[in-house]
Amino acid sequence: MPPLISLHALTKRYPGVTALDELTLDIEPGIIGLVGSNGAGKSTLLKILLGLTDPTSGTAAVMGRDVQREGTLIRQFVGYMPEHDALPPDTTATELVAHLAQVSGLPATAARERTAEVLRHVGLYEERYRQVGGYSTGMRQRVKLAQAMVHDPRLLLLDEPTNGLDPAGREEMLELVRRTGREFGIAVLVASHLLGEIERVCDFLVAIEAGRLLRADRLTSFTERTGTLTVEVEEGRDALAAALVAQGLRVRPDGRLLQVELQDERPYDVVRDAVVDLGLPLVRIEQHRHSLEDLFRDRPDGAGEPAMAEPAEAGR
Amino acid sequence: MSEAAGTARTEVANAAAGSIYDLGYQTYDGPRLGRRHAIRALFMYSLRGCFGIGRGGRAKIVPLALAIFALLPAVVAVGVAALVIRVPTGGGGGGGGGPAMPITYGTFFSYIQTIPMLFCAAQAPELVGRDQRYHVLPLYFSRALRRSDYAIAKLASLLVALLAVFLVPEAVIFVGSVLAASDVPTAFFENLPSAPPVLAIGLASAAVLGGIGLAVAAFTPRRAYATAAIIAVFTVPSVVVAIVNRFATGDAGRLVVLLSPGEMLEGLNAFFFGRASANRVLVQADLPGVAYLAAAVITAVGCLLVLLQRYRRIAA
Repeated sequence: MPPLISLHALTKRYPGVTALDELTLDIEPGIIGLVGSNGAGKSTLLKILLGLTDPTSGTAAVMGRDVQREGTLIRQFVGYMPEHDALPPDTTATELVAHLAQVSGLPATAARERTAEVLRHVGLYEERYRQVGGYSTGMRQRVKLAQAMVHDPRLLLLDEPTNGLDPAGREEMLELVRRTGREFGIAVLVASHLLGEIERVCDFLVAIEAGRLLRADRLTSFTERTGTLTVEVEEGRDALAAALVAQGLRVRPDGRLLQVELQDERPYDVVRDAVVDLGLPLVRIEQHRHSLEDLFRDRPDGAGEPAMAEPAEAGR
Repeated sequence: MSEAAGTARTEVANAAAGSIYDLGYQTYDGPRLGRRHAIRALFMYSLRGCFGIGRGGRAKIVPLALAIFALLPAVVAVGVAALVIRVPTGGGGGGGGGPAMPITYGTFFSYIQTIPMLFCAAQAPELVGRDQRYHVLPLYFSRALRRSDYAIAKLASLLVALLAVFLVPEAVIFVGSVLAASDVPTAFFENLPSAPPVLAIGLASAAVLGGIGLAVAAFTPRRAYATAAIIAVFTVPSVVVAIVNRFATGDAGRLVVLLSPGEMLEGLNAFFFGRASANRVLVQADLPGVAYLAAAVITAVGCLLVLLQRYRRIAA
């Protein structure tokens, strides 16, 4: 089985800007988060995977097929939800989605059946016979998701799916993404600059910055490996620190607390034994899993903090 | 929100009943018909869109009004022929006794020429500008067709729509004059030789006007600009030609008529019907018929190339 997505030295240069810089990466099925700040190259990568944009150099393959040479074939099995509004207002959701299903290669009857099915799935009912122009932002996002999955794709590419939604709408959209990936077995690649959202739905994370790969790994290893163990003792902090360092742990004092770096399971036992040996009054041992935002914020070069603010990504 | 609550309740009820009613997500294992099917689907959808079918009521007003305007002269001509002229010419011996139609196949094109032009000006921006205005192109280009396929499907739909606007009235004249005759079979065979030139000028005018209209409209998402530009391209050269024709002499002055779509098609119409045009400018230019044919072919092919180039470059 070829990897779901395979990138090799993928480069995209626009005049004056390098959007993707020698990106080499294999991605396996699952719910994959593609994170990076605005302008990191997320949308460009999605567009290259769809054949909407040609790379300057390098290759990209989806399900083992080159996106440039076999684009129309691949795109029958790929769904795309663009970041910005993409719906004509003077048509109904049913009409539009059924039409787009046919353009994805589905016969007319199947297109109509799948449209009803998928609009129900995203939570549009009677309003699917109304003109799209009268829809709320949340309903439009649902139609965009519906058109992306109406042809039952093997891979869904979602570009900032929660863009412009209120908190409740975000929750619902993330739940839809999660169900789509988990229950329906469709691989989902979600591009977002909102780490907090991504880390709640994804099992795999690809972080890019300025078109370069920062890191690609399972979400669990992303957070666990960088986790710390917070140890609080009433007294004897320094003695404990010395004992832990002697055992080969990396320890950082933090006020009354000790932050012990957590690479594996061993520190738990070492801390317990050291506290017992020294007879210290232990207050708590607490595992502190870094959220992804800490991870990015703590990066030594300090470059490219993922934005948490909400201004819409400027269209490119 | 009340709908969401309603669904939640149904899901609970279904769970209690053993989830009999909730079929869950259905995968699609049916055929995926690929690129040709996608092109055909876009063609049919666009053709319906040319007449406002599948859009709101307002979208139907202009195309249907124009189609009726094109039909009116034919209906009136047939009516007049049937009611007034039938008796004196019908009884006599010999021939089909065909009534003298006030409009002949050869002159019909001149009568309604402005209607296909207005149809282009109104519907070409609707056909291609709408998808640019509402950023729908990414939804198409991420499916089973290529950029060039999109351009070709759109052009083909406008050509067929224009052909229908032109040929339906011609068919009315045909049927009308055959049925109004005393000897129907003879009249049929008398009228039949007019069919090839009618088809030829219909195709040529659709290709030239539709090609120009779509090539112009594809360059702006703004409807009003596109409509104004198309009308300008159709009418301004005609005025220029009339002026140049009056003052310039020599071959340059004569060949300039080929730059005006209206004059070009008028000359082509005369050529197809093997008669001299009554148009003063054309009489003065005195060009061979093949010159008009060559100009029409060059215009149509040129517009197609412009259109393909536009869609190869357009950002999506």
